[in-house]
Amino acid sequence: MSKAAFEAGASSVDLTIEDPLLEVRDLKKYFPIRKGVFARHVGDVKAVDGISFRVRRNETLSLVGESGCGKTTAGRTLLRLLAPTGGSALYRPIPNGPQVDLFELSNAKMRGFRSDLQIIFQDPFASLNPRMPVSMIIGEALRVHGLARGAELEDRVSQLLERVGLRAEARNRFPHEFSGGQRQRIGIARALALNPRFIVCDEAVSALDVSIQAQIINLLKDLQEEFNLSFLFIAHDLSVVKYLSDRIAVMYLGRIVETGTTQDIFERAAHPYTQALLSAVPRPDPTLAKDRIVLQGDVPSPMNPPSGCHFRTRCPLAEDRCAETYPDYVRLSATHSAACHLIQPET
Amino acid sequence: MMRRFFRSRGVRKLVRDRLAMVALGVISIYLALFFMMWCGFLVEKEETFERVGANTEVGFFEEPTIEQRLLYLEFYLDNLYSAADSRTPEASLAAIDLYGRLPTLTDPDAVIERIDPLWEVYDELVELYEDDAFSDDPESLPRLEELEAEAATLYTEPEGLMGRLALALGTDRQGRSIFLRALYSIKIAVQIGLVCALISVAIGTILGGAAAFFGGVVDHVIVWLYSTFSAIPYIVLLMVLAAMFLGSAFEGTLVPVYTAFCMTFWIAPCRVIRGEVMKLRELEYVQAATAVGFGRGRILLKHIIPNTTHLMFINFSLLFIGAIKAEVILSFLNLGVKNEPSWGVMIKQATQEVISGFFWQIGAATVFMFVLVLAFNVLSDALQDAFDPKHV
Repeated sequence: MSKAAFEAGASSVDLTIEDPLLEVRDLKKYFPIRKGVFARHVGDVKAVDGISFRVRRNETLSLVGESGCGKTTAGRTLLRLLAPTGGSALYRPIPNGPQVDLFELSNAKMRGFRSDLQIIFQDPFASLNPRMPVSMIIGEALRVHGLARGAELEDRVSQLLERVGLRAEARNRFPHEFSGGQRQRIGIARALALNPRFIVCDEAVSALDVSIQAQIINLLKDLQEEFNLSFLFIAHDLSVVKYLSDRIAVMYLGRIVETGTTQDIFERAAHPYTQALLSAVPRPDPTLAKDRIVLQGDVPSPMNPPSGCHFRTRCPLAEDRCAETYPDYVRLSATHSAACHLIQPET
Repeated sequence: MMRRFFRSRGVRKLVRDRLAMVALGVISIYLALFFMMWCGFLVEKEETFERVGANTEVGFFEEPTIEQRLLYLEFYLDNLYSAADSRTPEASLAAIDLYGRLPTLTDPDAVIERIDPLWEVYDELVELYEDDAFSDDPESLPRLEELEAEAATLYTEPEGLMGRLALALGTDRQGRSIFLRALYSIKIAVQIGLVCALISVAIGTILGGAAAFFGGVVDHVIVWLYSTFSAIPYIVLLMVLAAMFLGSAFEGTLVPVYTAFCMTFWIAPCRVIRGEVMKLRELEYVQAATAVGFGRGRILLKHIIPNTTHLMFINFSLLFIGAIKAEVILSFLNLGVKNEPSWGVMIKQATQEVISGFFWQIGAATVFMFVLVLAFNVLSDALQDAFDPKHV
């Protein structure tokens, strides 16, 4: 995307958002492919290839897409768990205050911001150290950051556990003694321990039973209100996303193809990919006609993406021009934009 | 932390494994003996060089031949007689001490008077034996037994358990107790096993962990290092390293052995731990630790290394026996333990005896080592079953 196009508003950014908590511009994460004895650089896996979005204070932005579209990589790169290849992440902790680019900070300075930006993981069995009791898992961060110690630390851990719906006695037990849902609650308590402003929920409910999913989602919503949190909610399940998010960004093969408010996406989906995703959401209504759009084939390899529009190989509406250039974002409204050659801009 | 360890699934599984528990019992006995000797009880180094009887006496279940019995008799008689007949008879007699068995007579003249008639009987018996007429004369065997009983009265009874056990497995060609030497070798073996396994696992863990965790140049250097080391046949490397110490200040100590083993043995744990850490560092709880803002050292030490302890246990037990077996090879090649008995030294010395049909020394060294190595193999197998998450 050219700079001119960006400034002309042809971007995936929601223009109504002023003073965002976090603004991501053109985030890129490439994994180099090396071959041979001298580890020659022969190409890149473009896991995330230039995505931009803004996150308001106290709102939830959902990032949805198929497996392998780069949404998890985007979340981890944002927190610098992976080193970014390009772009910037402008973080403004205080409303209208100074901005910092998280990608420009040194490792040591970044550590200072880590307590503001937390992450909740998908797999509740891999995300807790099996050799640590719960009190250590949650309390270690408080102690290392010097926020609490001794009896105060114990109190704080108990409070956090109770806040996420576990009993305070749980703190002396080890992760393997808990169920998946309970473990996910421990993961949430760990993320909350440092009073963050922004939490990346990386498929936070995907590994759970549906009934437990609902509990965890409700817990997240309650916590958001109570602690003024902003979420970047990464998911592949649109039914979960609909209930939780304020805005949605749909990703395909490393790029955002459509973004808008939850209403925009669910009621006025413009991009053929979004429409296909929506038609895959099961609806418990037998009278509805089964007009599913079933996509053929697999997601193409991000090592060697198709020319032009990445989606054209599976798009039911693809035309010749789709193979030539990658479509610019077309603005459908101030909040809603999509990248497709077939969409006419709002006039 | 300890309570949780003893209640963990792995430990419970280990305790249920009967064979493993027997092996653990055997190992405990060896360790107990090691500690006793290390603290100076049981056998001291000097005692393994003392003469305790005639040369190549046989052990407890082998009947000595007539020839051997005559040879033993000659030693026991001559030992006293030549002392009493020397220039300083009192001092020489007083110096005789076959590991607690002392001369009953302290007066040199009395000794000579007592032994002279015995020599006559002895000479007659030897003559009979040399003429192959020993079994023809029905009188000869009772006479030999009588003579042996006489000779036995010349020495006091051995003192204590160790004194009685000293001849249990016979003696070597210098009349030294095979039992005491084999027992003392436990100390050497366990010492070498413990030191080498501990150091190797420590080096392997640190290097393997650092290689996997920091990646990049660190990884390249460490992988290059162990690839190079493992490309050299390790026995050659051991020989070169051990030979390098010839003539240095450490010659004659165990330091060359320790160095040679630690330099070659760290590779196995390093590889395994590098692989495990590579897996662990991508796990989400490690990512979470990064997200919370912990330093890399803290993550490595508190979140990654503790999750590789099962590998350390398994590698430790494998290297422990590896070191003991390698020590035998090195000592056999004259590059290992010096100035001290060890199983390798015993086997080397036994090569001459085996030709003449005397197997006690090589037998004792082999059995002592075999029991320990077998027990450790059984245990490390059980450890792997119990603690490796892939062997559920």
